[in-house]
Formats: sequence, structure tokens, C-alpha cells
Amino acid sequence: MIERLGRKTVDAIKAVGGFGHFVGDLARAVPDVAVWGRLTLVQMRRVGVDSLPVALFIAAFTGVVLALQASYTFTGTVPLYFVGTLVGKTMMLELGPVLAGLALAGRVGASMAAELGTMKVTEQVDALETLAYDPQSFLVLPRVLAGTTMFPVIVALAILTGIVTGWIASLVLLDLSTQEFLKGLKLFYRFKDTWFGLFKSATFGCTITLVGCVVGLSTRGGAEGVGRSTTRAVVYSAVLLLVLDAFWALVLLR
Amino acid sequence: MKRENEFAVGVVVIAAFAVVVAGALWLSGAHLGRTEAVYTARFRTVGGLGVGDPVVLRGVRVGRVEAIRLASGNWVEADLKIYAGTQPPPRPAVIAASASLFGEWAASLVALDQLPNDPNIKQAITEAQAAGSGKWPGATLPDIGQLTAQASRIATDIATVSSRIQTAFDSEAVIELRRSIKDFGQVADKLVRVTNDQADVLGSVGSNLRQGSDVLAKAATNFQTTLGRVDSATNQGQLATILNNSSATSANLKSASQDFRDLLDAAHKNQESLVRVLVSADSVMSRISNRSGTLGLLVSDSTLYRETTLTMIQLRQLLSDIQANPRKYFSFSVF
Repeated sequence: MIERLGRKTVDAIKAVGGFGHFVGDLARAVPDVAVWGRLTLVQMRRVGVDSLPVALFIAAFTGVVLALQASYTFTGTVPLYFVGTLVGKTMMLELGPVLAGLALAGRVGASMAAELGTMKVTEQVDALETLAYDPQSFLVLPRVLAGTTMFPVIVALAILTGIVTGWIASLVLLDLSTQEFLKGLKLFYRFKDTWFGLFKSATFGCTITLVGCVVGLSTRGGAEGVGRSTTRAVVYSAVLLLVLDAFWALVLLR
Repeated sequence: MKRENEFAVGVVVIAAFAVVVAGALWLSGAHLGRTEAVYTARFRTVGGLGVGDPVVLRGVRVGRVEAIRLASGNWVEADLKIYAGTQPPPRPAVIAASASLFGEWAASLVALDQLPNDPNIKQAITEAQAAGSGKWPGATLPDIGQLTAQASRIATDIATVSSRIQTAFDSEAVIELRRSIKDFGQVADKLVRVTNDQADVLGSVGSNLRQGSDVLAKAATNFQTTLGRVDSATNQGQLATILNNSSATSANLKSASQDFRDLLDAAHKNQESLVRVLVSADSVMSRISNRSGTLGLLVSDSTLYRETTLTMIQLRQLLSDIQANPRKYFSFSVF
């Protein structure tokens, strides 16, 4: 048992070291703009634009549920215009970035892990290296850059969607006027609410794509290994996303 | 394919950028394209006032708090951005106060001569004004937290008082109280009895009153009967006779009264004579008392009294001798 524990510890340390080595290679690939520059736009389309419907769908229902739950909680104790405050603050600070991040962890992270894992087990990555292509600049850097830049875009539109659906739900389902909802929305707004959510989502995008690439390129064992890598990429992304969420809250909101 | 990617990505990025910029500006209440003046207000403390909170003039939002910073002399300075077109009061002061129970604060612009009638506010404004340097004086009203803290302190005091009362209200006090309640119960019983007795008395009084009213009713009936008789007597002339008799009686009484008046006049005259007699008697008695005159001398001089007595004795002896021997003293001859 002690031997197993020791082996696991050593593997964990090796993983950290391997990740550091991976990040170092990635940094060395940054100057190779001619390679990753033209591929980044394609990844931005795949990671960002194609993920938009899922993110907006989740945000839309989140806004409705937030409005209804806020009304349920506030009725009889707190003025109902605080529904606008709660919907706005929650969407901007927490649920917009986190729910979109979790959804894209499943969609984007799993997709990248499966794609790169397949390339790995079918030795396409080795073929690229044989053709003098750096896998970091050809495969990883465009995905990480696309995820880092497009996640805030998706989250911004998701936040807008959540607030709009929350407002519509307040108008249609609750006894709340537009003026009251907007009063609550503007009541405690700070510009930090906006940049905090967007900055956080950028780190989420970077983390999800990085995890997808790392796990995908470390795939072994054929199709089964690809399946395992896909699962691990989603799980690791979700866990890291929540840890990162708590970290940023601790660092930036105190 | 490349063109399609560029367009889609570009549209999404631009839309997101527009959403972020426009949303942030709208939510923070920024007025783009309008000149805004910035004034600085000086407070001892700004309470819960924060950056972005509204600045209101007579209840209308006319700006926002742009910045808050600590300043020298234990002051806090707040930059107030006032929208263009807003005319602040001529001599403005700023009052930071809680706008609702839920943590919203606002900075209200008021004229210095229209301050609320609160000595704390006036003192704070005066103090901030005295610091000079052209900044608007400011004061802060206590927020709901401070008020609830004050209420908490009052509640604590009440709890302390209650505790003291509880301490004073020990078992002995309870026994005393129970005894007092028992006594009070006895007093109440007595009061009930007295009340019942008084009720009986009042009942008898009421009965008597009822009887009295019956008697009065009878008297009224009798009086009515008498009046009827008087009425019938009037009809038969008996009343005229009575009145005539009464008139004669009255004349007799008048005559008797005149006689009595004459008698009184005579008595009055005799009274004058009696007074004179009394005056004379008083004079005689005075002279006797003063031992003047015969009677006075007789009263005061015992010698005269004895001689008089002796004379009287001798006179009686003489009379006795005369009665016994009349011939010795008297002689009758016819011839």
C-alpha cells in the first residue's frame, strides 16, 4: 500500500513536471506566428462561434430560473426590484462564466482531447513532427489562444442573454415592471462586475483548452485510451474550473 | 472557408465587445458626450457612501460619486460628478444618507440655509465649512446599521433592567404579592357584601319611595277631591259666606290690634314713670350708701339704731301700759 501511495505521488509529481514542460514548449512556440496565426481563426470559429448556441441556451434558462427563485426568496421580505440586482450580479459574477465554462468544458475540452488523442494514437502527431511541424504551434497554441479569447466573448453574450431572459421572466411571470427591474439591475452595479466575469472566463477558456490539449496529446492505448482521455479532460476541466473560480473570488473579490 | 470563419468570428467578437462596452456604460450611468462638472465635498466620514452612488438634488438624480479618498486633517473627500445643465444650490452642502433599508446610499445636495433641523448635521457642516479651501461641506446621517445598533443597546439596557427586576422580585416578594392578592380578595369580598347590603338598603329606599309616591298620589287625589268640593261650594254660595265671616273676623282682629297698640302706648308711658321712680330710688339708695340723710345715718350709725330700738320698746311699753291702765292717762268727765 505504501508502495502504491509512493508510486502515485511520484506520478503526480511527474505529471506536474510534464505539464510544466508542456507549458514551456508552448511558450517556445509563440514566436512561430506564421504557423499558429492562420490556424487560430479556425479554432476561434470552432471553439467560440460554434459553441455559442449551447452557451446562450443555458444562459437563457438560467436567467429565467434566477428571476423566479429571486422572487420566491424575496417576496414578503425584500423589495422585488432586487430581482434585477440578483439576476444581474449573479449572471455577471458567477453563473454566466461558470455555467458557460462547464458547458464548454464538455463540448470543447472533450472535443480537443478526443481529436488530439486520436491524432496521437494514430501517430499523426509523430507525422507532423517528421514534417518539421511543431505540434505545439500547429495544434496546441491555436486552440489555447482561441479558447482564451473566445470564452469572454461567449460569456459576455451569455450574460446579456441571461439578463434579458430574467427581465422578460420578471415582466411576464412576476409582478415586476421594467423600471423596477432596471432599477435593481443598476442599483449596485460596479464596472468590476463586468471585467471580473470576463477575466475569469478568459482564464477558464485557457484552462479548458490547455487541459484538453495536454490530456489529448498524452493519450495512449488506442480507441480505449482516447475514450479515457476524453473523460479525463472533461473531469479535469470541470474540477480546475471550479477551483479557479474559487481562487479568483478569493483573490479579486475580497 | 477562411472567409466564412473570419466573418462569423468577427461578428461574434464585435457583438460581444459592443455588449460589454454599452452595458457597462449604461449600467454605471455614464453620460457620454455631455460635459460634467466635478465638485469635491468634505466629510468627517462618508458612512456607506461609495463610488457610483447617485448624487440627488431635491430627489432628482443629478450626478454620481466619482471618487472617495482620505484627506489630511482626518477628512474624507468625495468627488461628485454633476451632470451638465444642473444648477447646484448657491451655497451647497452635501448630506450622505442611506437611501433605503437595503444598503443604498446617496449624496443629497442641499442649500446651506435649508439644512435639516438636526444639531449633529449642522455641527458637522459648520465644522467642514470652517476647514475652508472651497470644498463643499458635508455631513453623514447614521445608517440603518447604526440605528439598529442603538436599538440593540437599548434592548440590552432593558434586559439589564428586567434582570434587576427579576432579582428584586424574589420568592419573598412573590409570597408578599400572593398575600396582598389574598388580602385584596378579602377586601373584594367585603366590598361585595357591602354592595349587597347597600343594594338592599337602596331597595328599601326604592320601596319607600314607591310608597311615598303612592301617598302623594293619594294626597293628590284628596286635593283633587277638595278642589272638587271647593268647586261645588263655590257653586252653592258657601264660599261667599265663609269669606264674609272671614272679613268680619278680620275686622275684629283689626280692632283688637288697635286696642293692643293703645295698651302698648300706655305701658310706654307707665314705663317712663317707672323709670323716674327707679331713678329716684337709685338716688335714695345712693344717699343711703353714701351715709347721707336720715336713712343713711340710721344704716351707718349703730347708736341711733339702738336708741331708736329702745324708743320703740318704750313706746310699746307705754302702749301696753295705756291699754292696761287707760284711766291713768285719760280722764273722762261729762261734767
